[in-house]
Amino acid sequence: MSILILGVILIPFLTSLFLKVIGKFLNELLTNFITLNAAMLSLATSFFLFGYIFFDKFKPLKFEVFQWFPNPEINFEFYLDGLSGVMMVLICGLSLVIQLFSTSYMSKDENYTKYFEYFNFFVFSMLLLVLSGNFLVMFFGWELVGLSSYLLISFWSEKKSAAKAGNKAFILNRIGDFGFLIGLMMIISEFQTFNFLSIFESTLETKPENLDVMIVFLLLGAFGKSAQFPLFSWLPDAMEGPTPASALIHAATMVTAGVFMLVRISPILQFSELGSLIIISMGLLTALIAAFAAINQKDIKKVLAYSTISQLGFMFIAIGSGAYVAAIFHLVTHAFFKALLFLGAGAVIHEMHHEQNIYKMGGLRKKMPITAAMMGIGTLAISGIPPLAGFWSKDEILASVFSKGGIYYGFWALSLLAAFMTAFYMGRHWLLIFVKEPTSDIENIHEAPKNMTRPLILLGIFSVFIGFINTPFFHGLEKVLYETLQSVEVTHLPEGITLAILAVLSIGAGFSGLGLAYLIYIFDIFSYFKIKLPFLSEIKLLSKEVLFLDKVGNAIFVRGLKTLSRKVAVTVDNMTIDGIVNGVAKSFYRSSQQISLVQTGLVRNYVVYFGLFMLVLIVVYLFSPGVLI
Amino acid sequence: MIEVTSDWYLTLSAILFSIGFLGMMVRKNALIMFMCIELMLNAVNLTFITASKHLGSVDGQIAVFFVLVVAAAEVVVGLAIIVSIFKKQESASVDMLSSSKG
Repeated sequence: MSILILGVILIPFLTSLFLKVIGKFLNELLTNFITLNAAMLSLATSFFLFGYIFFDKFKPLKFEVFQWFPNPEINFEFYLDGLSGVMMVLICGLSLVIQLFSTSYMSKDENYTKYFEYFNFFVFSMLLLVLSGNFLVMFFGWELVGLSSYLLISFWSEKKSAAKAGNKAFILNRIGDFGFLIGLMMIISEFQTFNFLSIFESTLETKPENLDVMIVFLLLGAFGKSAQFPLFSWLPDAMEGPTPASALIHAATMVTAGVFMLVRISPILQFSELGSLIIISMGLLTALIAAFAAINQKDIKKVLAYSTISQLGFMFIAIGSGAYVAAIFHLVTHAFFKALLFLGAGAVIHEMHHEQNIYKMGGLRKKMPITAAMMGIGTLAISGIPPLAGFWSKDEILASVFSKGGIYYGFWALSLLAAFMTAFYMGRHWLLIFVKEPTSDIENIHEAPKNMTRPLILLGIFSVFIGFINTPFFHGLEKVLYETLQSVEVTHLPEGITLAILAVLSIGAGFSGLGLAYLIYIFDIFSYFKIKLPFLSEIKLLSKEVLFLDKVGNAIFVRGLKTLSRKVAVTVDNMTIDGIVNGVAKSFYRSSQQISLVQTGLVRNYVVYFGLFMLVLIVVYLFSPGVLI
Repeated sequence: MIEVTSDWYLTLSAILFSIGFLGMMVRKNALIMFMCIELMLNAVNLTFITASKHLGSVDGQIAVFFVLVVAAAEVVVGLAIIVSIFKKQESASVDMLSSSKG
């Protein structure tokens, strides 16, 4: 049975390989046939596997492919428990839906087949990552998702900005991966194994200091992959890629790899106070900064990108406060409604002929009713309006943070602020696109084709109902993850009236955010009451430029390093090394020029040298010891 | 009666060698230089003969024969070179042949 795990992973890989080899001979229809059938097959397999472990009470399945290294023993192994099962089904399901959308969105692209080749390769890498049975296999998947993300971001590489964005994503991810790699080295030297289960069993034997350092390095990897502060600025740039690819990679799955990894290592993580504190504070900082930045973006996709960063921040907050189930829950719900929002944005971009400026849209509600309705559902879901998906997961995170008490009350308040901002910018986003008076000619805009609206409707339905898998009344996801988090102390929700009050507060934050957005952007309250807010333009600029973090980082790291390396190049390379080499050559040249003057070309002079040398020989002979005269 | 000892011969040969060497250094006519070389060779021959007589051995005389043979061969090559120099520049001066100057 467990060999099916290999099947799930290999189907997208083989599809990608197949498309690579015979891609030249395929037209769009044949490509669709191959890739969609493969996606359906892998979804069916993953459902079957999930069902199997479901009826087996989520007892983990293990599968060893081969022994990789003998000593210390590292196997190429896979591991399927509730956690990886949820991720597996999520990835395969969204992959199918988004590929269906892509067949329409990417249609008539000259590299149509190549897109699906990369897409399937990404799905393969992501499945390798989540189904890995030890850290080394996970690292393989970890790097491969980075690679496929790079390939898809710079898919339209003839656009310079796309190529640049791909490089930026890859390099910033490398920084995180470097930390991850150091963490792995510490793990192998500490535990002599990479296997998750063996490590979790012997966690208590290690010194807490070592554990802290290890966790911090692993965290760096998670921060890079999941676009957390300070390594988040690659994600907004990554929007240069095709929109459906952004939906899968940069919203639903790859960027959540960091969250997944932290939940996977939660049996170690729970012993590191420092690690948890870093996670929650960085998550909170990221959630606030990104939410603030999303308020004044004009690119339809960048708003969603910052919103993704902000929601990932929420997941990190959940992990930092020990609510691992809530983190995975938010991961799942977010995957659905953010994929929905991205695909909706993709449909809008497609119909607006690649116009991405939301100020140039408006009034599209009448022209694209299905897209508008579905994106509306997504907006309500992310804003935390009950009973949609986002409410349950976000409320669970907020309540878990609250229940930790102490300093966590402060964290809770700030998280609530971030939730309010989320509702505000998402409200603005939707209203500017669909409701506001149109600012440009939208006469010829039509509803998106069926292959686009059907995935939207499907995701819309999920965004409404997926929240019910884990409510305070039905702990479905908690049961799924029970086996995974068996040895982990999970923060539980507060009981009764506290929970109700917290829920009301978070609903209030959602509604007031949406309401404020309506008042400002549609009702235009400022000019209605002739209010002039102080510092408004400054705040707008700060939000647009993301607190100038990118510029400052550029100035310090990119330009600073460039100047430094240029100086080093001049002093060390040009002056020192080249100086030595050229100096030696020059000194030989000069001295040989001087010595060659001895050769006068006059035979008589040579005779003189000859005689002098003979004299020297005679003198030496006479004065050397042992000569009898 | 002054007895002619080996010293006299050796002194004579030293004087002849010095004359030859001095001639090599100061003259620039290739032919004269060639004669100086011959003079030096013969000075050395005289030394060999003297040593041979003084020591009562024939080794020195054998060496002289070798030197004579080599000198004869050298004359053949050397005269040919001198003739070609003369053909080239209408004079036997070696100072003009300084193209290998450093």
